[in-house]
Amino acid sequence: MMFAALTARLWYLQVLATQTYVQIANNSTFHVLKVEPERGRILDANDDPLVDNRESWVVTVQQQLLGDDPEGVLFRLAQHLDVPEADIVARIEDKQYYDYQRVPVAVDVSLDDIFYIAEHSKQFPGVSWDEQSVRRYPEGELAAHVLGQVGLISGAQVRDPAFAGYGTSDTVGKTGLEATYERFLHGTPGTNKIVVNPAGELLDELGGQLPVPGYDVKLYLDAKLQAKVERDLLTGLERARSIPDDDTTNAVTNFVANAGAIVVMDPETGGVEASASWPTYDPSVFVKGMSNKEFNQRFKDPSAGDPLFDRATQGAYAPGSTFKPFMALAALDNGVTSPGSYTDCPSSWAYRLDPDHPFDNWSRYDQGLLSIPDALKYSCDTIFYQWGGEFYDRWKANQLGAGSEPLQRDLKGFGFGHEPGIDLPSQAGGFIPTAAWKEEQHQEDPKAFPYGWLPGDDILMSIGQGYVLTSPMQIASAYAAIVNGGRLCAPRLADQIQTSDGKRVQKIGGQGCRRLPYSQQELDVVQQGLEQVVQSDGGTAYSAFASFPFDQVPVMGKTGTAERPGFTTVAGQTQGQDTSWFAAIAGPPGDQHVIVAMVEQGGHGSTTAAPMVRSVIEDMFKLGDTGVAGTVATD
Amino acid sequence: MDLVAGRVWSEERRPIRHLDPVLLVTPILLSVVGLFLVYSSTHRSLTTLGEDPGQFVKKQFTALVLGFVMLVVVAAFDYRFYKVYAGFIYAAAVVALVLVQTPLGASPSGAQRWFTFGGFQLTPSEFAKIALALMLGAVLSELRTSEPTLTDVLRVTMIAVVPMGLVFIQPDIGTTIVLVAILVGVLVVAGTLPRHLATLALASVVLIFGAFQLGIIKDYQLERLRAFADSTADSQGANYNRTQAEIAIGSGGLVGQGFLNGRLTNLDFVPEQHTDFIFTVAGEEFGFVGAALLLALFAILMWRAIRISFLSKDAFGTYVAAGIAAMFAIQMFVNVGMVIGIMPITGIPLPFVSYGGSSMLANFVAVGLLLNIHMRRFT
Repeated sequence: MMFAALTARLWYLQVLATQTYVQIANNSTFHVLKVEPERGRILDANDDPLVDNRESWVVTVQQQLLGDDPEGVLFRLAQHLDVPEADIVARIEDKQYYDYQRVPVAVDVSLDDIFYIAEHSKQFPGVSWDEQSVRRYPEGELAAHVLGQVGLISGAQVRDPAFAGYGTSDTVGKTGLEATYERFLHGTPGTNKIVVNPAGELLDELGGQLPVPGYDVKLYLDAKLQAKVERDLLTGLERARSIPDDDTTNAVTNFVANAGAIVVMDPETGGVEASASWPTYDPSVFVKGMSNKEFNQRFKDPSAGDPLFDRATQGAYAPGSTFKPFMALAALDNGVTSPGSYTDCPSSWAYRLDPDHPFDNWSRYDQGLLSIPDALKYSCDTIFYQWGGEFYDRWKANQLGAGSEPLQRDLKGFGFGHEPGIDLPSQAGGFIPTAAWKEEQHQEDPKAFPYGWLPGDDILMSIGQGYVLTSPMQIASAYAAIVNGGRLCAPRLADQIQTSDGKRVQKIGGQGCRRLPYSQQELDVVQQGLEQVVQSDGGTAYSAFASFPFDQVPVMGKTGTAERPGFTTVAGQTQGQDTSWFAAIAGPPGDQHVIVAMVEQGGHGSTTAAPMVRSVIEDMFKLGDTGVAGTVATD
Repeated sequence: MDLVAGRVWSEERRPIRHLDPVLLVTPILLSVVGLFLVYSSTHRSLTTLGEDPGQFVKKQFTALVLGFVMLVVVAAFDYRFYKVYAGFIYAAAVVALVLVQTPLGASPSGAQRWFTFGGFQLTPSEFAKIALALMLGAVLSELRTSEPTLTDVLRVTMIAVVPMGLVFIQPDIGTTIVLVAILVGVLVVAGTLPRHLATLALASVVLIFGAFQLGIIKDYQLERLRAFADSTADSQGANYNRTQAEIAIGSGGLVGQGFLNGRLTNLDFVPEQHTDFIFTVAGEEFGFVGAALLLALFAILMWRAIRISFLSKDAFGTYVAAGIAAMFAIQMFVNVGMVIGIMPITGIPLPFVSYGGSSMLANFVAVGLLLNIHMRRFT
């Protein structure tokens, strides 16, 4: 009976159904291999590559073929490649690979090492190698923060419908532009039909579909300008560290100036012409990959200063007085003040219902009645306090009605308090406090927030303090709106997607601009003030731009010196030094650029950030050295 | 001096005169076919690796010669002698099965099945099968009743359960099934009442259910069972072996593609082809004719084993022969059955044909016992 059953089945398989199986057998000796496409490049505004590709050798191990002494083989391999054996074992045992698959165990191996393995193949059964295209950074560390990295696709991404068609061993953009423009950069894999045995022996190659390389992403960013801006940022930080901190409550003598950022933007399109953040890093270290420990040492150790963090886009700071133009516009827009009006600028001002808690101006002198441009020129805090108090009254009178917070509405209109929509995967939205938010904090944690919405909240917001947080990138696009006729454009790094020979596939930049509710007259009043800040004696940045040739390159700007309350001593260093800001609009009409500099623990805007912006402007307009910035410490 | 048909009586009684030549030749034929099939399935990969393409065949041939020596040794002593020592043999097998669970046993892919002695692997479960057949034969042949009582049935079952349990937790479901077959085979021949067998079957169902509940059965084994139940499941995963095996055999056709010409065999598409899936090489390269002839050799082997069980002079011989017949039958049936897709994949080697030294030695020892019982059926 047993034999009858077996024989019957054999008869079926081998005589009756044999044709089907012969056919399957003929097909299944073919393997369809995926041929990876060449990843697209990232180009600067002049089509010079910031990221391209180079060939690299990868050593692979096929577990099934390691032979009688797998430990010996892996030990020799680890010795020869000078990598920990444990790393190789960990990669081989990775669950994503089958036993018969070739597992990459070391990337970016030198050709000498490959030759050695090839010549000593007896010692390395199961070990082979592949050529693989990896990212190359012709400009080194330049613009590392915006470019981002590629890496192995994650498990979550494989399951994500957005990554349909990707395999488990695919390389994808992980951060920065590499991630944002993944679907353009990646390309379409091709196929190659081959006859092969699992030993990796190629028996026949039958061709297939060629892969389609990824598109190039062309940026607004100009590599030459970016390099100068990065140099100016570093020089400025070093200079700031030589400036004594005049605030004697701080424990250190000089400014720490541990980090900073500079953004250069085209106000017409929102195109980012340069974006620098310090400290920075070399993106090529990720090509080879590194252990967790090495990663933590290099990037997560406190002494490293968090170099992966992009201060320009991901950092959110109190903007201080650089916020004042938007406060002034909100006050004009809502009838809190009017273009031709004058406001008193005392050295101290208190909200009328709370006379015991006066708010001081940064200057100790009463400056009398000031026009709106003068209020900006002298950066008079007390005038803005008054407007803040007025906005508080508006809210108080109409708490439950719709539109009870016109100040917050206007500020959010400038792009503050929400992500600016730059083409980077990770960006700070900053914060604009509202009465509802404060009330909620108060309910949840009455200790930290003993009160609900107070006059002081509006008053401090009016000078960019209190709970207000913005990123340098947000400040840049808001300043762009002041000179581009009142349009808020989302910041854009990418200009367009193009083929490798430069044909446009899709326009990216210059879209998504929104008109703001300000008249040209209102914008002009503010521009006038910003011009006086820099060009008029007594302006807070007048000293910083001493002897600057304004006839060649007109400059407007606004200083900011933002307190960082609540920061305590960390490792012997006072972390509470002021954030130094300067936002400028430079250039003749038609060729204007917004330049924003921010230095953490940099002290005054006029002495740290403004000179940095001056250097950038000199570089941009090829002015050479236009003289030394003065050292008058103002707001 | 007594003369029988003109010859000295003692001369006439010499066991070698009653040798079963068919039983001697059949396993050797199977083994030689096995050598060719092992060569066919391994030479190409070995060449690719820059190794001696005959490496596996040489090892297998060594095992064949050793196995033949074992056969001669086992056949030389009167088999009743083994009955006396059955208890010791059984105990030794159980100890070996326990030791293989300790760090002494190598652990490839999570299973602890063998000891390694300088390049050779010794799998105690292979020898446990024969030890069990001897032990069951020894115990049952000492019964005074015409058929075993329920107590007897339970007693011998307990004897069998010890190695079964130890093999099962290795985990090696295939060999466990073989041990069960040996027990059932011996019990049936010993005249166990059908209702007692039914009781036993019921108890084992309950026990196996319990084993699943306690999670003793490993995930990959469940995967394989599931793959059998649902043959359309993931063909790269659990079902891959079975699909490739079926394609290889099916594409063999009536007369096969010829020795060393099997396409899937050459491309190493069938995993574990030189061991558990060796039958696919026969199917692909020698077709239905070759595969059927191979089955015929097994039929002869079983016919001789069953015949010896009937011819045996005493109950011990009958039972041992029955146990061995059951062992060969179940191994052949489960192995070929899984390869051609009518049984689940359990990992049982095809006797004499599959690559593997321990299996080869144990099978020749079993044949040695059968020859022994046959030779001494008059003495």
